Amino acid sequence: MSDEEHHFESKADAGASKTFPQQAGAIRKNGYIVIKGRPCKVVEVSTSKTGKHGHAKCHFVAIDIFTAKKLEDIVPSSHNCDVPHVTRTDYQLIDISEDGFVSLLTESGNTKDDLRLPTDETLLTQIKDGFAEGKDLVVTVMSAMGEEQICTLKDIGPK
Amino acid sequence: MEGFPGGATDLSQLQSTMEAVEHACSSIQMHVNPGEAEKIILSLRLSPLPYQSCRFILETSQIPNARFQAAGAIGDAAIREWGILTDENKRSLISFCLCYVMEHSGAADAYVQAKVSAVAALLIKRGWLDFAETEKMAIFSEVKQAILGIHGMNAQYTGINFLESLVSEFSPSTSTAMGLPREFHEQCLLSLELNYLKEFYCWAQASALSVTDKIIGCGATVSEDKVCSAALRLMFQILNWNFRQSTNTLGHSINKISASSYGIRHDAVLLKKYERSLVQPGPIWNDVLLSSGHTVWLLNLYATLRQKYSSDVIWIDSPLAVSARQLIVQLCSLTGTIFPADNGEMQIKHLIQILSAVLQWIEPPNVISVAIQSGRNESEMIDGCHALLSLATLTSTVLFDNLLRSIRPFGTIHLLSTLTCEVVKAHTVIRDEEETWASEALDILLEIWSVILGRTDTDKDSVSTEGISAASNLFNVIVESHLKAAAESAFDDDGDADYFHASISKRDERLGSYALIARVAADVTVPFLIKLFSERFALINQRNNTSDPTQTLEELYWLLLITGHVLTDSGEGETMLVPEALQVGFSDILEEAQHPVVVLSWSIIHFARHSLDPEMRRTYFSPRLMEAIIWFLARWVDTYLMPLDATKGQISTPGHEHGHPHGYKLSKKVLLSFAGEHNQGVLVLDTIVRISMMTLNSYPGENELLAVTCQKLFVALVRRRNICVHLVGLDSWLDLARAFANERTLFAITARLQRSLAQTLVCAASGLKDSEASNQYVRDLMGPMTAYLVNISNRNDLKAVAQQADVIYMVCCLLERLRGAAKATQTRTQKAIFEMGSAVMAPLLTLLEIYKNQSAVVYLILKFMVDFVDGQIIFLNAQETSILVSFCLRLLEIYSSQNIGKISLSLSSSLRSEAQAEKYKDLRALLQLLTNICSKDLVDFSSSSDELDSPDIAEVIYVGLHIVTPLISLDLLKYPKLSRDYFALVSHMLEVYPEKVARLNKEAFAHIIGTLDFGIHHQDTDVVEKCLRAVNALASYHYNERNAGKEGLGAQNTDSHGSNGKLQDSILSHFLKLLLQLLLFEDFRMDLAGSAADALLPLLLCEHDLYQRLVQELLEREANPAMKTRLASAFHSLTSSNQLSSSLDRPNRHRFRKNLHGFLTEVSGFMRIK
Repeated sequence: MSDEEHHFESKADAGASKTFPQQAGAIRKNGYIVIKGRPCKVVEVSTSKTGKHGHAKCHFVAIDIFTAKKLEDIVPSSHNCDVPHVTRTDYQLIDISEDGFVSLLTESGNTKDDLRLPTDETLLTQIKDGFAEGKDLVVTVMSAMGEEQICTLKDIGPK
Repeated sequence: MEGFPGGATDLSQLQSTMEAVEHACSSIQMHVNPGEAEKIILSLRLSPLPYQSCRFILETSQIPNARFQAAGAIGDAAIREWGILTDENKRSLISFCLCYVMEHSGAADAYVQAKVSAVAALLIKRGWLDFAETEKMAIFSEVKQAILGIHGMNAQYTGINFLESLVSEFSPSTSTAMGLPREFHEQCLLSLELNYLKEFYCWAQASALSVTDKIIGCGATVSEDKVCSAALRLMFQILNWNFRQSTNTLGHSINKISASSYGIRHDAVLLKKYERSLVQPGPIWNDVLLSSGHTVWLLNLYATLRQKYSSDVIWIDSPLAVSARQLIVQLCSLTGTIFPADNGEMQIKHLIQILSAVLQWIEPPNVISVAIQSGRNESEMIDGCHALLSLATLTSTVLFDNLLRSIRPFGTIHLLSTLTCEVVKAHTVIRDEEETWASEALDILLEIWSVILGRTDTDKDSVSTEGISAASNLFNVIVESHLKAAAESAFDDDGDADYFHASISKRDERLGSYALIARVAADVTVPFLIKLFSERFALINQRNNTSDPTQTLEELYWLLLITGHVLTDSGEGETMLVPEALQVGFSDILEEAQHPVVVLSWSIIHFARHSLDPEMRRTYFSPRLMEAIIWFLARWVDTYLMPLDATKGQISTPGHEHGHPHGYKLSKKVLLSFAGEHNQGVLVLDTIVRISMMTLNSYPGENELLAVTCQKLFVALVRRRNICVHLVGLDSWLDLARAFANERTLFAITARLQRSLAQTLVCAASGLKDSEASNQYVRDLMGPMTAYLVNISNRNDLKAVAQQADVIYMVCCLLERLRGAAKATQTRTQKAIFEMGSAVMAPLLTLLEIYKNQSAVVYLILKFMVDFVDGQIIFLNAQETSILVSFCLRLLEIYSSQNIGKISLSLSSSLRSEAQAEKYKDLRALLQLLTNICSKDLVDFSSSSDELDSPDIAEVIYVGLHIVTPLISLDLLKYPKLSRDYFALVSHMLEVYPEKVARLNKEAFAHIIGTLDFGIHHQDTDVVEKCLRAVNALASYHYNERNAGKEGLGAQNTDSHGSNGKLQDSILSHFLKLLLQLLLFEDFRMDLAGSAADALLPLLLCEHDLYQRLVQELLEREANPAMKTRLASAFHSLTSSNQLSSSLDRPNRHRFRKNLHGFLTEVSGFMRIK
């Protein structure tokens, strides 16, 4: 094997496609999967066979990572499924505007203003209260398949 | 009634109490305001001297529930107020209850009478040691009159019922708690057994006798049936008693002769599975149970009734029939010194008697089976199986077989075989339902087979020729029925997702018993299996592609499973040997080519090789069939491939050698060498590696198959070094290693399986000739993985690239592979694996930063470090340790900076709980990592021992504890795995670095103490033991330091207790109190006494004044002067016997352990309360 290391090198380019294919049998619980065009987190995998001597099929139960809706799918375990690229980026919170948008500071020093406040009540109040108290807040924004949402909050400031 | 407690009360008040209680009872029944009603009833139970009211209710109320509550209230109140009642009061309460049940014996609502009866029994027991013998006699003579039938049938029934509640009140498992020391219960029990139990039995017998004439005749009514079945039930209950007298004195001598020459055995454990035990009442029972002809009477009674009701199908299930059979089965388990020392003659006679009666229940098996399948009740047949099991347990295999010969022209094993045949047939026909009579009966019957064939002293000679042919017939029926069932079920959908785990142990247990049966007649059954296989292989070879092979595949699947069990044993973690029965079973076959085991093995392996052909594979080798093949190969490799002893010649069981002829040795040698290193071994090994590699590549997504391959077969291949030697020389193995290291194909396998694959590949290095070659082999194998990780972590666009799903997947796979390699660390590969680990240290830190939001990756990094440290730390020298330790420190710092103070929120609760589960897993990994690092100071194999520049492991632990402790909450400690890991770490820390712990900041220290406090009360013995060790370490440290004139725990100790602020004690005195409380009053397990002693000694020494004060308090609290003296002397000898000194050295600790043990034995009898 002369070209050994090249076999390993992924074709990873920044800004590649939104999903990549992975064998259904290799997708585990807590992994991500695209079901009916939606990015989901797998909460349950079970396998079954058509007849005892048939091939295995995977039955996925998954939760849409943005809407929390439950989705299900059955795929032969040797076939490929689409797996979404899910990224999380941290931004510092600068401002909350009255119309429900937030203003975030990116790493390069620009601002990002196209994101709404989360709909989740607890997170929403934590952000609002924390911001009102003048804390330094960092929010994590989860994005997949062209959608974005604030999912985590962290207080980095001094007490 | 004279002396009835409570004095005179006016009628209107009694009336109003009754009305209130009646109202409460009816409103509870109708669910109207139950809380209020319960309060009223409770107040009756708790009110002082409620006896008059209760009596009034019992005698006048029309509502049965109210009477029931009143009876209960009498019991509660009397137990509570026992001290203030006069002897007169007590007696009159008891006689009131007894008279009441006798007078109302025929009344409706039997549960009220039963409750009153139970209350009488309870009060009698409470006063058992106070009452004079004459008083008891007086009570019991009344009862006896009733039972013998003087007051009519209803009173008879009531009397028996009363004795039933009395016996159950006196047996430890069913007795009521009454706040008295254990000793009290124990004394009552012994006294009843010694003085009354046998009499009760005789009364029951007499009362049964008094009604049986009528029952057998024609004039029987329901009440005679009732009396008779109650009497039989009482006798059964009495025989269930755990007899102390006989076992105490003779237990030891019996065990020694457990397999005596005349064939009676005494191993009681075998019946435990069905919650039954041997009945060993001792010699005084001989006259009642044996010489009086009691057994014969009972057997005849049942037989006669059975005859009489032969047309009545439901009679078999009637209470009378059920209790009679129960008693018969119980008598079957009779053993011990009740039989005279006459070489077992009498016991054998007894057993034959019962067997001849039980025969009717199970014979002829085919008729019985058909009858049950067409609706007859199966309970009689099941009881028959239980009786056989008792017989098999009590007799040697030879005697068991011979028991039947005096009655029938064949032996018991023959009967057992025909019975099992029928049950197997019935079982395979109705296999769809889970809990059927056939499966229940089959379980018992197979247990009998395991008992008679599975004994270590059973060999071929103990089964007669007839028995052997019965076994081979049975095996034929088993195989044929199962093959038929397999063929019929071949097209069923296999929807059960986890079929592989749930029922598999049950199935394996059955197959294991079948295999025992097959091995008895190996010279017939193994050729039979060969024939079945070859028929099916031929079918597959002839088949044109049009017909569906599914049925044949399913048959092969089952055949492979049973063959695997017949040819090999399933001992997890043991070194496999060729089963003894197969070694001795073919003494006349000396040629390798003719040996059935060899022929069978080769034919299966030859068939498996066809799977390498793509065409054949697509048509015939379904994933399921392949699973069975791989499973079979794994077991076969463990047992037959290059067995270790083949080179040495002889093995095992030298005792058996001399009796066997020359042929036996030769045929045994054939078995051990046909797949040996100098024979076909290497060739087969190569085939097996090729087949397993093919499964990895050709069955994508078939996770179960891949799991069997990676976790069973590969593991078996590298288990023994002599196989590894050949393995690493095979081209096929090198191909696999090359594919693993350099190609992408194997990344399609589940990441976890890639870990096991890496582990086995690295393990195989043990077969290389020296350490240099082994290290090079590992470098070649793992080099590409580390290179990739280094490469990706150095990329400029890492931030953007890293988050892509395929890159994450790749990183996960690589981390799993590294983990596998780390787990496989051996002395000879340690160097290469350390290089591998240090190469990825920097990249791992980068990845930990990058993937802080990808919990899966973070977890894998932590787990890799856990395994890496575990494998490496004992080998490392100071410099390497320093590298490792400072890396772990960085890792901990980064992890904590990312995770402390983070609030994770998600939209759905299920995703949020997932996130919590991930945190929990991380935490466990961190704890394991710290524990593993700690172990460096205990076990150290590194060559250089220069103290210079030795890295401070304690420092890492110190930082680590500060990071981890705030994350551990008492709620989390309820998870058993986590709490075990946590307390392992804490006890370890305190033992090794008490000075570091003492320096922890206040919150962290208080937190640790709080968790110890929690842990000492834990259910898990392991956790409690670790906590005790921790307390021991803490106190010992403090004591030693203080003796050396230092401050010890100093400020930490005097601070108020952390977890609940109101405690102002020092920590050590808190633990001293806690421990004394635990030892004296709670259900303390004796197996922890050692660790408790170790913890208690330093506490005593540290807090001596407090200890004296506590002892004083305890003594003052004890009201009973006799107890007080006993307690005082126990405390005295705890601290002063055996020349206990005030040092913490080993001999002194040992002495204290002894003292505490004596103390607990002395004190637990009267301090622990039930």
